Amino acid sequence: MAERNGFLPIRTNTFDRVFISVVLFIAISLFWMRFLEPHAPLWVSTLLSAILGQWIIRKG
Amino acid sequence: MRNTTTGWLLIAPTLFILFITGMVPFLYVLAVGFLDWNTFAANPEPRFAGVDNFRRLVFDAAFLKSLWLTFKFTLFVLASQLIIGFFLAKMLMRNVPLKGLFRTVHTLPLMIAPIAVGATWRLMTVPGLGPIPHWMQQWFDISYVLSRFPDQAFATVVIMDIWHWTPLVTLTLMAGLSNLPEEPLEQARIDGAGEWRIFWDITLPFLKPVLLTTIFIRLMDALRTVDEVWMLTGGGPGAETRFIGLHIWRVVFPKTDYGYGAAMSLITLYLTIVMCWLLYVAMTGMKEKSR
Repeated sequence: MAERNGFLPIRTNTFDRVFISVVLFIAISLFWMRFLEPHAPLWVSTLLSAILGQWIIRKG
Repeated sequence: MRNTTTGWLLIAPTLFILFITGMVPFLYVLAVGFLDWNTFAANPEPRFAGVDNFRRLVFDAAFLKSLWLTFKFTLFVLASQLIIGFFLAKMLMRNVPLKGLFRTVHTLPLMIAPIAVGATWRLMTVPGLGPIPHWMQQWFDISYVLSRFPDQAFATVVIMDIWHWTPLVTLTLMAGLSNLPEEPLEQARIDGAGEWRIFWDITLPFLKPVLLTTIFIRLMDALRTVDEVWMLTGGGPGAETRFIGLHIWRVVFPKTDYGYGAAMSLITLYLTIVMCWLLYVAMTGMKEKSR
């Protein structure tokens, strides 16, 4: 897979970007459940993670 | 094209075995992590629980404490083993008297099963039976009782792990040091570079692949330490040496809370992978972008 320079501080290929997105998705979900769920439901975190993941995969 | 097909056919059995032994258990644990499944519960049948196990986990003080203890333990043993292992490797590369004997004796702990290491250290540290409490009392006037003092228990577990696994670090670093090219080292010495400068600018960069491999192996090992600690302290006193592996074991086997145990295992795996990846990025210089 070809590597490229995006906004991330490292050169990445598609697998790297998908990996980073999954890692962030899990981290954000756990953080949300621990601190933010009383104020906003978990699907908000899932939506935000999905948007962030797509942004990373496309532009990262 | 034919070569590629032949290549795939040749590695197919290995890939198949890897899939069966690696991916199938992982996928099973992944599925169980989303189940409420406790055979001792009022309803022992597994039922889908969504992310409830993970929600419970982020508020579980016992789990978070065991996670913190595991990271502390990993940091201490990894740093100590790398430093001690490097100095021992440097020493054993030189022509010192009885080098062969020392090398053999130094490697002996590696051949002992972790459970036996734990049992041996247990025997050495039992008050009234083992020599260590006796010496600590005689020489330093310290009351050494692992089942009473958490700091002593933690320090002893760390020292036991260092004793057991430093030889592995020494061996891998010796392999790395013996493959160092002579020319840059000689050139640096001729140019008047000091030992520290040579170490920092030549030895360390050449050792990077070996160091990375060693750190990965030891990091993953340290994060899943169970048997040695189980034999030595049983996770005590209280839960002061109950590392994550022991904690998961307690949840899965005596309490038979399979869903929650699987969720904890998944989070531990997640943290291990993230730590290894961050380390890899930091050490291989992936940060350097090409212009």
